[in-house]
Amino acid sequence: MIILKIIGCTLIVLSSSLIGYIYGKSYKERLENLIYLENCIKILETEIMYGANPLPEALENVYKKGNKKVSFIFNRISQALKEHKSGEVLECFLMVSDTMKKNLNFKKEDIEVFTNLGRTIGSSNRKDQEKSFKLILAQIKALQKEARLEKEKNEKMFKNLGFLSGLAIVIILL
Amino acid sequence: MEKDEALIFDYLLQYIAPEISNILFKVSKEKKRNIEEIRLRNNFPLMVYCEGGDYYVSKNGELTQNEKDVFIVNKKLLFKTFQLVSNYSVYAFEEEIRSGFITLKGGHRVGIAGKTIYGSNGVETIKDISSLNIRVAREKIGVSDKIMKYLIKQPDSIYHTLIVSPPQCGKTTLLRDIARNISDGIPEMNFKGKKVGIVDERSEIAGVYSGIPQKSIGKRTDILDGCLKKDGIIMLIRAMSPEIIVTDELGGEEDIKAIYEALKAGVILISTVHGKDLEDIMTKNNLGELIERKVFERIIILDNSKGVGTIRNILDGHAFTSVIH
Repeated sequence: MIILKIIGCTLIVLSSSLIGYIYGKSYKERLENLIYLENCIKILETEIMYGANPLPEALENVYKKGNKKVSFIFNRISQALKEHKSGEVLECFLMVSDTMKKNLNFKKEDIEVFTNLGRTIGSSNRKDQEKSFKLILAQIKALQKEARLEKEKNEKMFKNLGFLSGLAIVIILL
Repeated sequence: MEKDEALIFDYLLQYIAPEISNILFKVSKEKKRNIEEIRLRNNFPLMVYCEGGDYYVSKNGELTQNEKDVFIVNKKLLFKTFQLVSNYSVYAFEEEIRSGFITLKGGHRVGIAGKTIYGSNGVETIKDISSLNIRVAREKIGVSDKIMKYLIKQPDSIYHTLIVSPPQCGKTTLLRDIARNISDGIPEMNFKGKKVGIVDERSEIAGVYSGIPQKSIGKRTDILDGCLKKDGIIMLIRAMSPEIIVTDELGGEEDIKAIYEALKAGVILISTVHGKDLEDIMTKNNLGELIERKVFERIIILDNSKGVGTIRNILDGHAFTSVIH
């Protein structure tokens, strides 16, 4: 009987810790992905400013050169541009916003900054493109700062909270 | 095998906003073969230029001259089309936009009009696009076959040739085909191919798209794409040792200077000029002088009296008499 109790208790503690861990991890991932995203956008900037590659190719190159964990969204945009032929870049950027939210732990404001890129990219000459890249990179830097703060604050807290709430449940049950 | 001309038109539709291309797709095959221009203007009806006249396009894809029930192009559609034409990459076409047109794959050209922005080096860009003119490039291989016998100077040379034609009468098409014939050679006439250099200021003759000419211009042909005639002629002579130089639309004073330069180097010139007939071009500055000095030994005069590209006459440049018999 005691053995059963012990097993039950450990299960409760383990699962609640796991929940805490998962919650905490989403903060870490957001920061990581923001850093990858920044790198990808920097690659895109080079592709456009120095390579002068057409947008669909430039996006594909970003996918190849960047960290695949994030850069796959650029490939999707590129494919959408090639297939749809609708003349709407923003539309193609908006298509990936769901994936960004669900799979990459991005927050709403991160996605907004990214899709804003879809409004300006490609539709002006190099000088103006440079300006909009500068703006977006600055915005992402700010988001990273915020994500880092949040991560420091919350990651540990959720982990501890998970473990401790598990313990609490066990104590109450006992 | 020559491709079906209607397919060329359908190919072009991918560069046009879907709202418009869906309508143009419905145009009958017969008409598609003959459409030369598709014109989009802000808040005005969609128009095509075809068989020497312009037509509105109804919402069902019929060509009509009745202004009722026509499709109106708006700013958004123009912008979308512009995005597609520039492959979403205005920055990659800065140079082209500065000169007012973009060349598409296949050698088709899209003319752009809108608000021009001036920078320190002249026109910097065009924004607020107000009209687009999509010109279907039609390659007519073999149009010059019949007249080559008038241009070959026996035994093994070519006459200096000038093609005179009003706009839209096929002078560039003819010029291109002459270049192809000279470059490839004509075995039936015992004419061996010669080195040809093309100065393609407006990317019209060879239609180069990322380094590859989209038109048949012959296997012994070198192309300076997007190059001013005055620079290009000299560059070609210096670098590529052409025997024949082909260029489009003579006119400027600088062009004429470059031509004298080419004559000094012993290069043969083939060129075109806008004009109705010989009298018309004689009145033009610079050019009149070239004719008077009898630089050109053959003058081909085109019009569209019997369809686009009718050859009205071929004159001898010395006596100004017809050489057609």
